[in-house]
Amino acid sequence: MTNLARAPSDPPAGGGSPTIGWGYRTDIGATREQVSRALVRLNHELVGLGLERDALIPTELVLAEVLNNIVEHAYGDSAQGDIALEAAVHSNTIWCQVIDFGRPMPGGKIPPALRYDLDAMKVSDLPEGGFGWGLIRDLTTNLIYERTGQENRLSLSIDLDC
Amino acid sequence: MQMTCETRGPVCIMRVESDRIDAAIAIQFKDMFRDMAATAPGPVVLDLAQVTFLDSSGLGAVVAARKLLGAERTLELAGLNPAVEKVMQLTRMNTIFLIHATRDAALAAHGVAPAA
Repeated sequence: MTNLARAPSDPPAGGGSPTIGWGYRTDIGATREQVSRALVRLNHELVGLGLERDALIPTELVLAEVLNNIVEHAYGDSAQGDIALEAAVHSNTIWCQVIDFGRPMPGGKIPPALRYDLDAMKVSDLPEGGFGWGLIRDLTTNLIYERTGQENRLSLSIDLDC
Repeated sequence: MQMTCETRGPVCIMRVESDRIDAAIAIQFKDMFRDMAATAPGPVVLDLAQVTFLDSSGLGAVVAARKLLGAERTLELAGLNPAVEKVMQLTRMNTIFLIHATRDAALAAHGVAPAA
């Protein structure tokens, strides 16, 4: 289900004055298929606001990584669980908040980015995963994780110019 | 998702007929690639011109496809859209794959004339 509404909390100060007064909240079932459909819907909404498709590439990529991490790790592919995604556009920045009720992040912290030395690798050793947090960290600012009770809350912002 | 396979000279061109290779279809992509790669012995060009979104799971599936061919065969990519190119750059996987601007450029690099 998708419903358009104002984001419940204002983004932190310093993001510039809002030029697009827009907020979005959607609930997503914790499966890869529902994540994929939710991302297509969000992109459609953002393009509808007049944002450039290419400027939205980092947003879709970051949210794909964040949401699929929740499906795979927080909920452990149980296909059960809900994810709430909130997004707001202010000036040239997209603010997002993602909430789930799955397992906490390992050690209560956002995992580090894994970097591979690809030049030194044989074809058979090339990594097939582990790129997610590197992409998230490269493309976001203000990345904050909080665990409160049973709730995981990840907040982040993405510059539309990057 | 759908993929088509076409043999031109020594090259097998696999065209992904889907606008996304993401976590929802990464496994399906890998399976289809494996089946198609078994039918042709030579180099493979993966035509991604229709793909407008690739996430890390999709990238992992493309890397898995590369590994599946082994060191004796090559996997080259063609027709990268901006979102696909961005992921390849950020992960530095663009240094692992030979990347052609278009399918026809990939064919030309193998000495095959593009279709009229």
